[in-house]
Amino acid sequence: MELGSLFSNLSLGFSVAVSLQNLFWCLMGAVIGTAVGVLPGVGPTATMALLLPATYFLPPEGALIMLAGIYYGAQYGGSTTAILVNLPGEASSVVTTLDGYQMARQGRAGPALAIAALGSFFAGCVATIAIVLAAPPLTRLAQQFAPADYFSLMVLGLVFAVVLARGSVIKAFGMIFLGMLLGLVGTDVNTGNTRFTFGISDLFDGIGFVPLVMGVFGIAEIMANLTNPQRRDLVDAKVSGLLPTKEDIMRSIAPVLRGTFLGGLLGILPGGGAVLASFSAYTVEKRLSKTPEKFGTGMIEGVAAPESANNAAAQTSFIPMLTLGIPSNAVMAMMIGGMMIHGIIPGPQVMEQKPGLFWGMIVSMWIGNLMLVVLNLPLIGIWVRMLLVPYRLLAVAILFFCCIGVYSLNNSANEVLIIALFGVIGYLLMKLECEPAPLLLGFLLGPMMEVYMRRAMLLSRGDPWVFLQRPLSLTFLAIAVVLLLFVILPNVRRARETAFQE
Amino acid sequence: MRIRSGQDIATGLLFLAFGLAAYWIGADYPMGSPQRPGTGVLPRILAWCLMGTGAILCAKAFLADGTALTRWAWRPVIMTTLATIAFALTVDNLGLVVSMLLSMTLCALGTPETRWREYAIFCVLMVALGVGMFIWGLRMPIPVWPVSLPGALSWN
Repeated sequence: MELGSLFSNLSLGFSVAVSLQNLFWCLMGAVIGTAVGVLPGVGPTATMALLLPATYFLPPEGALIMLAGIYYGAQYGGSTTAILVNLPGEASSVVTTLDGYQMARQGRAGPALAIAALGSFFAGCVATIAIVLAAPPLTRLAQQFAPADYFSLMVLGLVFAVVLARGSVIKAFGMIFLGMLLGLVGTDVNTGNTRFTFGISDLFDGIGFVPLVMGVFGIAEIMANLTNPQRRDLVDAKVSGLLPTKEDIMRSIAPVLRGTFLGGLLGILPGGGAVLASFSAYTVEKRLSKTPEKFGTGMIEGVAAPESANNAAAQTSFIPMLTLGIPSNAVMAMMIGGMMIHGIIPGPQVMEQKPGLFWGMIVSMWIGNLMLVVLNLPLIGIWVRMLLVPYRLLAVAILFFCCIGVYSLNNSANEVLIIALFGVIGYLLMKLECEPAPLLLGFLLGPMMEVYMRRAMLLSRGDPWVFLQRPLSLTFLAIAVVLLLFVILPNVRRARETAFQE
Repeated sequence: MRIRSGQDIATGLLFLAFGLAAYWIGADYPMGSPQRPGTGVLPRILAWCLMGTGAILCAKAFLADGTALTRWAWRPVIMTTLATIAFALTVDNLGLVVSMLLSMTLCALGTPETRWREYAIFCVLMVALGVGMFIWGLRMPIPVWPVSLPGALSWN
């Protein structure tokens, strides 16, 4: 890799990211992210969905920098409440509550918070460098992809998303198929025929990405959260003495390094991301520890590793989105939505056609991480105070922002009706424990896959074997099949065993 | 044979229904040729896949123990949906203020936890924020107050 171009890329990124305007949007993203990270019941996915229409008013760089900031900001905020109030603000900080809250009860909230923030910062820096190093070669590789390769890569991506998804594999598949079907609604660009529009003219352009996610993530979450009102007993969380002791730091170094590595790796995989990373990192630490029985009683390793891992994963999950244009989780789907609002087609060409945007966004992540360390540690008292806002009021505000946000897209009240419909569908799917993330990935990838399938078939003159004849395509499909066998076989065996017990 | 997971059978039936509907609606979409796959190819494939997943889930519901269906919380679901619909139907004619008051109050009715005095203060703040930010700030073409009564009565 040419070091020269690396530095020129980075300096271009810096020049974009440190412009006053973009610094402001980065800060906005980090602050909003921390806020939603602190608040349980309001996640980064829903927040990004809420803000997607607003980004229409920003320049594309500012929009993407802010959206990215919300995601990694939420990782920081989530850990704060996990440690202080034993409430994971985000799913990715669930494991942090185990040891973090115990430390807080022993009066060591300060060191726990500091290690969490510093570990996250370290992981964020390393992951940013990983993106910088991985992006150009991956982009070059992607430029050699033929349509068949792209199609197979997307199949692999979806299979990964299913394999790594929480909950039932079969349901995840169903959600992907359902998402792809929803993505096909509207006019078929190749032939001009309309599909599944029921003659409603509002559907001729397809179902909008923003109304879909606002319904499934915004409105449906209001319904679910109003059902189970959380009792938030705010413990008198006094944070005295932020500084960790020398022993804390020494004990944390190795877990932070391992967490960063593991998280960074898992983040790249589609369907992985921050949640999986934090759980795996905690398990690894417990396995490696000489005193595994002490985990859960306030071990600093149990805070350091998962917090580094979730932040590293949050960042590296940008890699497939930036280089291949393939979203690996729901948040990356939002980023792609943000790009499309600005007329940017995600894919390997972004790096060449919009180098300022590409490198600016990457550098902004590093700056944003720095802002978060500065923001979080001294301002913890303010963030915890935010927990006093009851959800019954938040719900009302979220509902309004969903409605006005969708309305503002096209000044169309009919699109607001669509979020009402998807809200109910989203709640139904939540009740059936169907994860909405695969639905979203299918929705985005379905139409893309159709385009690539058609191109591949045209190039091969109608020969479907093309997907197995190109080496890259064959490799992707082979990995997909192996992965599938891995998950399906144990399930089938278990189902048979239980069936025979009758 | 008995159903051992209400959740699995419900999900399976849902997928089956979507698959069947997609198959039925897409039945007359042109399939094209192998070289130029038509409009109907992917919908047909997906319909089969969905029906397949649905069938597997239904079978699984009889074979393996799983989660039962949990209670559906009607109140928040209905009130939140009504709130969204109310916003959509009124915002163009009755203006942002009335539309906000209507939809936010419907949403607040969705939970027994709402304390009305607190809500009233919050509501005033939200309306001020909404008008200030979206109409004065972002200059969205929404009327602040009701346009006219006859216009308000014909939703369009």
